[in-house]
Amino acid sequence: MNKGVISLFLAIVMLAFIATGCGAPATPEPPAAEPAVKEAAEEPATEEAAEPAAEEPAEEPAAEPAAEEPATEEAAEPMGEPVTLEFAQWWGVELPEGSLRDMMDEFEAQNPGITVELLSAPYAATRQQTVAGAATGTMADVVGLDGAWVNDFVKQGALANLSNLMSDAGYDDSELAAQIQLDGSTYMIPVANFVYPVFVNLDLLEQAGIASPPSTRAEFAAAAEQLTDAENNVYGWVLPLSVEQPNGIQNDVMSWVWASGGSMLADGQPNLVGNEDVSSAMEFIKGMYDAGVIAPGAFAMAEPDKVEEFVNGRVGMMVDSLAHINLIRERNPDLNFAITALPAVEGYTGPRGLPYASWGIGVAENSEHQAEAWKLIEFLMSQETNSKLSSLAHAFPGNVNATPDYVETDESFAAAFDVFQNGYLANEFVGLPVAEELMRQYDEQFQLYLDDGQTLDEALANAQAAWMESFQ
Amino acid sequence: MNNLMTKSTQNVMMKALVIVALLIGALFAGFPVLWMLSSSLKSNTEIFAYPPRLISESFSFDAYRAVLTNPEQLRFFFNSYLVSILVTIFTLIVGILGGYSFSRYKFKFKSHLNVIIIGVQAVPPITLMIPYFGLIVALKLYNTYWALILTYMVFTLPYAIIMMTGYFNTLPRDLDEAVLIDGGTSFVALWRVLVPISLPGIVSVGVYTFMLAWNEFLFALTLTKTNDMRTVPVGIQLLMGQHSYEWNQMMAMSVLGSLPVLILFLVFQRYFIAGMSAGSVKG
Amino acid sequence: MANITISTEAKTRNWHKTGKQLVPFAYLSPTILLLTVLSLIPIAIVFYYSLMDNVIITRDTPAFVGISNYVDLITDSVFHQALGHTLYLTIISVIAHLILGLSFAMLLNTELISPGMRALFRVVYILPWVFTASIIAILWRLMLNPNGIINFMLISVGLASEQIEWLSSRQLALPAVTFINIWSGYPFYMVSLLAGLQGIPKDLYDAGTIDGANRRQLFQYITLPQLKPIIISLAMLDFIWTMHQFTLIWMTTGGGPIRATEVLSTFTYKLAFSSYKFSMASANAFIILALSIIVALFYVRNQRATDE
Repeated sequence: MNKGVISLFLAIVMLAFIATGCGAPATPEPPAAEPAVKEAAEEPATEEAAEPAAEEPAEEPAAEPAAEEPATEEAAEPMGEPVTLEFAQWWGVELPEGSLRDMMDEFEAQNPGITVELLSAPYAATRQQTVAGAATGTMADVVGLDGAWVNDFVKQGALANLSNLMSDAGYDDSELAAQIQLDGSTYMIPVANFVYPVFVNLDLLEQAGIASPPSTRAEFAAAAEQLTDAENNVYGWVLPLSVEQPNGIQNDVMSWVWASGGSMLADGQPNLVGNEDVSSAMEFIKGMYDAGVIAPGAFAMAEPDKVEEFVNGRVGMMVDSLAHINLIRERNPDLNFAITALPAVEGYTGPRGLPYASWGIGVAENSEHQAEAWKLIEFLMSQETNSKLSSLAHAFPGNVNATPDYVETDESFAAAFDVFQNGYLANEFVGLPVAEELMRQYDEQFQLYLDDGQTLDEALANAQAAWMESFQ
Repeated sequence: MNNLMTKSTQNVMMKALVIVALLIGALFAGFPVLWMLSSSLKSNTEIFAYPPRLISESFSFDAYRAVLTNPEQLRFFFNSYLVSILVTIFTLIVGILGGYSFSRYKFKFKSHLNVIIIGVQAVPPITLMIPYFGLIVALKLYNTYWALILTYMVFTLPYAIIMMTGYFNTLPRDLDEAVLIDGGTSFVALWRVLVPISLPGIVSVGVYTFMLAWNEFLFALTLTKTNDMRTVPVGIQLLMGQHSYEWNQMMAMSVLGSLPVLILFLVFQRYFIAGMSAGSVKG
Repeated sequence: MANITISTEAKTRNWHKTGKQLVPFAYLSPTILLLTVLSLIPIAIVFYYSLMDNVIITRDTPAFVGISNYVDLITDSVFHQALGHTLYLTIISVIAHLILGLSFAMLLNTELISPGMRALFRVVYILPWVFTASIIAILWRLMLNPNGIINFMLISVGLASEQIEWLSSRQLALPAVTFINIWSGYPFYMVSLLAGLQGIPKDLYDAGTIDGANRRQLFQYITLPQLKPIIISLAMLDFIWTMHQFTLIWMTTGGGPIRATEVLSTFTYKLAFSSYKFSMASANAFIILALSIIVALFYVRNQRATDE
């Protein structure tokens, strides 16, 4: 059906709608000096209706490619014809200035005829633009992705099937540490992974008389209690639960479940009710909340605030991205801190799930240069480039053979690498539908539980019900 | 004699009272801004220090230096000026024409048009985002200055027309009729006679328009793709990383961003204040 | 651009009148063109979305569902909460803007201080107006942080005994957000009312004084009635603008904690950009539109009354 005609029609309906809406109270104009001439007065009305008709069809070509962009196009691309790839991501903002551009220059040198235009914006802005781009078929050729977005973009048909691109290019995927798949096809490849271990302020720990960082939940709760000195505004733990950026649920709340080998899902469906792993973790957090060992302001706190609290020495422990090590050092060079794995329940000896966030990458379905786009991904995933990228970002590489240099040169990272090697990456929100909304829904129920507005069973039942709606 | 004494004492009392009230009001209005200024001169860590201090040990202009030496950031300022000035000019031209029409003519659908013009600004802009974005892409305006200019005109025109209609209503009709009798057209009457004497009203609408275009964020972000097309509010947002914010630079940038607006207000305040009245009396 | 389809003779005969009738539309044509293309069309598309299901989120053709999105919304308890919070925020903001705007305008209008001082104070008083909403949100988040300057000052002077969680407690978040909105919005009123005050003819006050009216009576019988038209215009615009207030609330609380500050605009945003329920978000937009139109109608009716 023709969208243009529909919108034109609706524009007229709208006009009528508004006109009748105000028709009732409107009293007729007192007769003007000259009697109104009907044709003349109505003229502009038809004019304004005619105008959009001319403009509208232009929308078609833009909307069309989103729906069906044949993969044949790329084969038809003759060698040597210059191609410009747009690469939208938030990484350029996070990496040392200019370093992503340097990598692109290298790629361009290796692939004559392809130029890469970097569209770097912060995380939130990238998300907003990618959503708008996906809805209107204007996404950049290559896009940086978060695992939480993938499901929705695939449903919209905005992402290209990377499995096909890989087989077209004859790519051997054995080097890839992970692939995010839906219905058996890959749509996102994690380029770099950031795990979330526990950061401890060693000076505060020493002051409180704690010998070593906690390794079980009970130890953690005890340490948090000892660290807390409300008089002097020092607290044991910090918990960001802002609903604007609900990723605290993933990194600071659910991570406790995964660290003890638990899961919030069963057969890919929500499994919050009657799940001992989940409820014990929530009771554990509630215990600390009630004991007053969590820094105040949790319900409105977001990830950047959390880090500032830690940097200022007001919290003894926090769960945080490894990517922050440099930032913390830069903000407070005197801070004496260490990194340790997220504690597990008493007696748990299995491997610990490590929450993580990824810089993922994908290709737009509407891209006219999917083959070239894949070349860029291949380049970023190559052992050499991936080592370089993960070194710069202080991330764990997406290529199994890549080794970032920081492992040897930096003690804190070496410790983190140990944590990483003894556990496995666990983030169950990756690939779920409306993942951010799931976190937010859980967040609201969890806050109400912490605030004594409902029992744990009610909270989990409500969260489960809200989640089920999105899973249908 | 006695009576006079009391009067002057009363006046002094009154004056003291007014000054105290003004100072309290200024504290309410100005303190948060003072805090912004203070934060822009601190290190990121000091911003969160407790107890907070107005002037910290880390006092420095580093944040300003960082903003002012970054060509990308300076480009944001340039873009903001360009877009805001053009929006102001175009809104004024189109708004003056529209206001004149509403003020001086009686015509069919006049009150309907009036309600539509008020009504279009009643739709929450965030919900229009997706179709609006599609439209801008279809019109080939995506990532251009025109996308922003036309968008802000859509936001400012209703207010401009309401105000200009009100303002023209306060001017006697004899003025333009004199021109017509002399054989001039209504167009001449508008630009040669009405516009010059409505300068205060025009300035007030202009300042409002400029402020809106200067401060708008949501559409400025979505309708542009590359940093060379972006404006100051987006630039401020670009300092918010995935995990951490450059608090002091954000503050410095908004202090810098507010200066031209304040200067504008200082320069035009006489006009502005006189103009607002006439427009809104009959608004 | 407007082709008139009447015969030549008639044309000559009617030229003058027809031309005259077209003039107002000619003046309005840039406005009509712009608002039709960039405002009415997107509004129409949103209206179309609100009657469909599955728009944008899938590649399937959307299905026509009539008013079921509206019914779902109106029966949704979150929507009721959001509506209640929106009315709270809007009504309190509008009233507070008015009171503050008028008091500040009268203070700044006083003859008791020198013109230079007045100009200085005017600049200080409009400060909240010159910042973009996202920076206002960030600034107030810093100040209202449990370890922020506001708590520090309250504790220092003994007004508070412990750190108050302004934005993160269920009881205080909505009043706190409303306060921020009041702070950021009053200057627009103040400037407009200041202008209005200066437009009131002096002789009215002189006559009032001769009749023996005191300050309060002068205010009640001269100032207020003279300002009434401005106040009504301002209140209408402010009502509509505050209903749309999004960035400020989103960036301070995100609608939390536990929906304590959920307003229609944050609710709409989440529906559209977090749950991808664009149809529901569109329906919500039209409910906000309908509420705004009611206000606009009061305004237009009032306008007509003043015109006559």
